[in-house]
Amino acid sequence: MREFFTSQFGVSITFSVMVIGALLGITTYCIYFERKIAGWVQDRYGPNRVGPAGIFQLVADGIKMVFKEDIIPGHVDKVLFLAAPAIIIIVSFIGFAAIPWGGQWELDGHLVNIQVANPDIGLLYILGVASMAIYGLVLGGYSSNNKYSLFGSLRATAQMLSYEIPLGLCILVVVLTLGTLRLEHIALAQTGYWFGIIPQWNVFLHPVPFVILLITSLAESNRTPFDLPEAEQELVCGYHTEYTALKFGMFFLGEYAHMITASALISVLFLGGWHFPWIPWAQPEATSFFAVLVKIGVLGGKVVFFIFLMMWLRWTLPRFRWDQLMRVAWKGLIPITLALFILTAVLVYFGLERSIWTLVGNVVIVAGALLIAGSFGREVTGRTTNLPPIPSGPFSPGVGGVGASA
Amino acid sequence: MTASTAYILYLAFAIGAAAVYLMLPRPERSKAIAGALLGVAALAVLITLLVARVTEPGSTRAFFCIFAAVALFAAARVVTHNRPIFSALYFVLVVLAVAALLVLQEAEFLAVALVIVYAGAIVVTYLFVIMLAQQTGSPVYDRQAREPLLAVLIGFLLMAAVAGQAGALPDTVEQGSVLATQTGPDSPASSIAEGNTAAVGRAVMTKYVVVLEIAGVLLLIAMIGAIALSKKKVPSEQVRTARKPLGQVGKEVAPY
Repeated sequence: MREFFTSQFGVSITFSVMVIGALLGITTYCIYFERKIAGWVQDRYGPNRVGPAGIFQLVADGIKMVFKEDIIPGHVDKVLFLAAPAIIIIVSFIGFAAIPWGGQWELDGHLVNIQVANPDIGLLYILGVASMAIYGLVLGGYSSNNKYSLFGSLRATAQMLSYEIPLGLCILVVVLTLGTLRLEHIALAQTGYWFGIIPQWNVFLHPVPFVILLITSLAESNRTPFDLPEAEQELVCGYHTEYTALKFGMFFLGEYAHMITASALISVLFLGGWHFPWIPWAQPEATSFFAVLVKIGVLGGKVVFFIFLMMWLRWTLPRFRWDQLMRVAWKGLIPITLALFILTAVLVYFGLERSIWTLVGNVVIVAGALLIAGSFGREVTGRTTNLPPIPSGPFSPGVGGVGASA
Repeated sequence: MTASTAYILYLAFAIGAAAVYLMLPRPERSKAIAGALLGVAALAVLITLLVARVTEPGSTRAFFCIFAAVALFAAARVVTHNRPIFSALYFVLVVLAVAALLVLQEAEFLAVALVIVYAGAIVVTYLFVIMLAQQTGSPVYDRQAREPLLAVLIGFLLMAAVAGQAGALPDTVEQGSVLATQTGPDSPASSIAEGNTAAVGRAVMTKYVVVLEIAGVLLLIAMIGAIALSKKKVPSEQVRTARKPLGQVGKEVAPY
């Protein structure tokens, strides 16, 4: 029995159960963080009634979500309507299987990976699973049999297909640089140091793909400024307009789970995963149980940083207009990432893929892109004149305002 | 493969053809159940035939049976379902089941590439078109197959021909020898050791590089064609929108 639990298979099973449990908790807590950060950005308190500093707010929210009346409208396609939230939640959670959370652990004299699965194609597995997430959105919108929902899912389809291309190219830049698809190897390859101080994280080699990957991850998880599929001013709620209670909650949790996967992926690809300089337990040589905990903590910290960044952006930036969204992807991100990809391929051919020339190439490509974008005239879209001024009066506009003053 | 096995295989195909013919959409629904029963019979014959040929351990065999049955069932539903959106979704199921079969053959890269390309991109665009084309109700061409007999006959004849050819291969294929024949003469053993992805990449970039280039050129032509087709010709008066350098766009609207 002990042999089973100390083997890689046993550790994987135990760890997968732990990951699922922890993630369910963390994704629910994300809602609390989201509301607290919204409060911070908008200069108000946020939830502060349930428990100290409102930390039990999510329990109240969860109880509310479970016990609300679960309405299935009469006009929906019932099979697909029930399948859509299930697809969303399954796809969001199985993506975690390939993330290397804690390096290696020495257990009974042999090393086991703190990772659910370590396939040869770990990175492609995550990409494949993420590409299936679109079915949840599309089917949710289609089966609702509602024009606004359908618009939402059409937008989701076009947006996710468009932003998958620069996302994949950014990931390919890393794969080309390090020559492996195994996420554990990608993390291990970044554990060295330049000049003895700077960790060899990919972000110092390729800052531009790092930023573009962050942007496309926001678009893939439908977060502001890319939340057009659920733009509430135009489409009620987009693809989940007709959903209530726990089924709505699944869409909600799926979004946060997607954010966590994306953050973990960015951390592993560009920020060295569980590696952190100056902490002796976050080095590849450390394999004790405490080191595993520290490594999980380091990767968790990086994930929390990215989640904070995404939430901060959500409450700071306005939403893109649809033509701007498409222009950013097809005329901005895709040419730049293609140029970066070709640059990396050329540098790999000359064996310079991890030298200063990578950074120089990044700078040159961004400068060239800005030069080209600046030299061509841009179409002036949108409003070009000011709206008529808001009539001033004792009351706010509309009450006694326009007609009375004129 | 003995002669009798081949005949059992052809018999399974004949039953399957009859099943698909009966299950194809038609105004009256009574024959579909008979078709489904026949389909189950054909599936049972095929699975027993295939299980006898699989030499892997028990769990692999069980997984193979499950995923093969799912793939065949879903493939039958792709052509027999009378709502296009369900047909597209069953096609996704076929792709996933085939990907699982590829994983059982230790071809993980092909499996994931299949999922990303077909399930993740191509079928999504199908769904896009279907969603735009029809919201409610199904037109007559979805409720009734046009030439069911000819279509089933030709489809299954083609499949029987291909399967008969495949049946001419040696009975038990040794582990990894398929991969070895694909990666070319240079050290097949080492290419298996370096991993599936690397082996596929090496094969594509050395032995099949011409095919790769042709596929790339074909895709480029298709892309240019699509752009040319989708480009709408507008009168020259209408295209004169204001153009400005990037830094000046939006400057004329003063912030409130």
